[in-house]
Amino acid sequence: MDLFANLAHGFAVAFSPINLLMCLIGALVGTLVGVLPGIGTIATVAMLLPITFGLPPVGALIMLAGIYYGAQYGGSTTSILVNIPGEATSVVTAIDGHQMAKQGRAGPALAIAAIGSFFAGCVATVLIAVLGAPLTKLALAFGPAEYFSLMVLGLIFAVVLAKGSVLKAIAMIVFGLLLSMVGSDIETGASRMAFNIPELADGLGFATVAMGVFGFAEIIRNLDAGAEMNRDLVQQKITGLMPTRKDLKDSTPAILRGTALGSILGILPGGGAVIASFAAYTLEKKLAKDPSRFGRGAIEGVAGPESANNAAAQTSFIPLLTLGIPPNAVMALMVGAMTIHGIVPGPQVMQKQPDLVWGMIASMWIGNLMLIIINLPLVGIWVRLLRVPYRLMFPSIVIFCAIGIYSVNNAPVDVILAGVFGLVGYWLIKHDFEPAPLLLGMVLGPLMEENLRRALLISRGDWSVFLTRPLSAVLLAIAAGLLLLTVLPALRSKRDEVFTESEN
Amino acid sequence: MADTMGQSATATRNTSMALGFCLLAIAPQIFEFIWSIGTIFGWGAGRGPATVVMNHATALLAGAPGALIGAASGDSKKASSEVLLALIYSYPIFAVAIVTLFMTVRSAQDYVGGVILMALGLFALWASSDLQGMRGFSFGAGTAPRMFGGLLVGLSAAIALTGLLTDGPGMSHYSWRGPLFVMAAILFFALAIRPLGVVVSAFASFMIAAAGSRETRWVEAAIVGACLTAGCAVLFPYVLGLPMPMFPRFLVQ
Repeated sequence: MDLFANLAHGFAVAFSPINLLMCLIGALVGTLVGVLPGIGTIATVAMLLPITFGLPPVGALIMLAGIYYGAQYGGSTTSILVNIPGEATSVVTAIDGHQMAKQGRAGPALAIAAIGSFFAGCVATVLIAVLGAPLTKLALAFGPAEYFSLMVLGLIFAVVLAKGSVLKAIAMIVFGLLLSMVGSDIETGASRMAFNIPELADGLGFATVAMGVFGFAEIIRNLDAGAEMNRDLVQQKITGLMPTRKDLKDSTPAILRGTALGSILGILPGGGAVIASFAAYTLEKKLAKDPSRFGRGAIEGVAGPESANNAAAQTSFIPLLTLGIPPNAVMALMVGAMTIHGIVPGPQVMQKQPDLVWGMIASMWIGNLMLIIINLPLVGIWVRLLRVPYRLMFPSIVIFCAIGIYSVNNAPVDVILAGVFGLVGYWLIKHDFEPAPLLLGMVLGPLMEENLRRALLISRGDWSVFLTRPLSAVLLAIAAGLLLLTVLPALRSKRDEVFTESEN
Repeated sequence: MADTMGQSATATRNTSMALGFCLLAIAPQIFEFIWSIGTIFGWGAGRGPATVVMNHATALLAGAPGALIGAASGDSKKASSEVLLALIYSYPIFAVAIVTLFMTVRSAQDYVGGVILMALGLFALWASSDLQGMRGFSFGAGTAPRMFGGLLVGLSAAIALTGLLTDGPGMSHYSWRGPLFVMAAILFFALAIRPLGVVVSAFASFMIAAAGSRETRWVEAAIVGACLTAGCAVLFPYVLGLPMPMFPRFLVQ
């Protein structure tokens, strides 16, 4: 079988000492970021982008990938022990996980979160390996019209799943699309909306905006509430990591369902780990015989979301590696990391860079194994980190972010721009606009415009091309259907219900 | 009694909101003016503050109505960028400000958010107005920005409208301390990294940012800041090999 040959090749690459080291560093940094509240994956990957300049491309991507899925593990630790989600993806884990910890069952909760994550990680690794080749073949049937329609579907998907008002989410996407158009036009080279500022001629850097909107804005917002967040740390020693047989029996189906749901949501553009964990929690609550147990320490409420977010974090590599479309902001930063090393993401990557693709897939499995060790026996070390007060942490994060942004292009202007976008992000939060769709719009903007223009050029200006090509028509129909479903009031109330969980 | 109190409160609120929008309507002009002050000291090239004020004032007061009449009578003379800014950006926002005076705003959060977003959309429409549009059936450089700019204006108008029609949260509280000091730290770092190097700029920015919280203990912050600076000074230039100056330029030479 081709698949096994490929995976064997991947493991050969991933087991080289340098790549193992990169994988370990990625997993450690990811866990650290996940544990510490107030600094997210997006800001971290953006910050560490310049560090990968000096590394070989395979090692660089292995490390960045490790940070992404490592953060999913680390986030659950703080959710369970301190009731402060270290990551947006583990917000729902806190609901039941922290209750379990209060009942003295922190050990089993942590263990189930880690086991669920590990299982989901294994399944996702296999899934990427299995789906990679056929999807690449499908990608070859994609013309510009199909690419455009697929991205529209992805954006609509992000809107449907975003929290709060549909209108606001769409407005944020369009705002992101507009921001992506600053700089030189791809086809004519004309300078657009750059106001003769030379630093803007190349466009707004994606890492710059991401760091501002997610890094700086988050810090400013946290300072609003006062630097000292109340942390009711579970003080007693964590004894007995082993879950009981009943715990295992209860959580097995939840882990399976969470993995399946997370894998699907991860593959779809616009989805991702955050949405997957929310959806998994709702699913578990709906399926449970006694839903009132949720919120009082139900182990399924930990197992489902934790498996889902890890599965989604990994399967979101599929659209990137096969179609060249980044499905979320972290993947967009991965595109940045790839292009720094001269690799253009897309269908040809699988054939041209087998070392990179299969090495990365294999490293994910190894990384998951490392994470189990990092997280379970060493959990005490990570908890101790939480004692670092925020008043010391936030200036450090500001400095790290500033140095990181500066070193991407050695441009002081980038630092100022990131600061400006920090203020923009703060304003967005205050007016209840979601920053995630904005970033997705900015990521997909250039690709969308390019494919739209190309499709219309080929069809000689005929807009019906998007509907006459069957694949494109199907994609657009799904998008329209999704949007319709969201706007319909009956389903709307249900959708709100899904996301009010986080407010509890 | 309570009713009239509430009414007068919304009335003052609306006036200040309308005034705020008026300020928003001429924000780009004000920004250009502030920017142009620099030319007095010889920073950057561009028009002096006097010319900027004159051009924008004539555009706002006389130029734009003139262009409107000209367009109505079929006179297709190309309008200057100031007149276009007044026509595309300032006038619609002024109109919104006037409308605001006569409206009951039921959700300030949505209404203000929508209007400011609309301003951004209008600004993008102006910024891309000098770009080439459709050439036959192929897109010009300006087609997509104008398309999405128009879409953003429409969507944000709808958001503002929901703020008028449905009840919702009011303006949330903005604090000034955090944003001010964090931004000051970022700005200082950006300006200082080239001339002063990592060591000075990182430590100083750390201390500025630390002022953003009332709970900061200064001795503790200074110690942590010094350790962090030392760590950064080793990590970034040496371990990671990123090119950046270490010490102030005047000390090295």
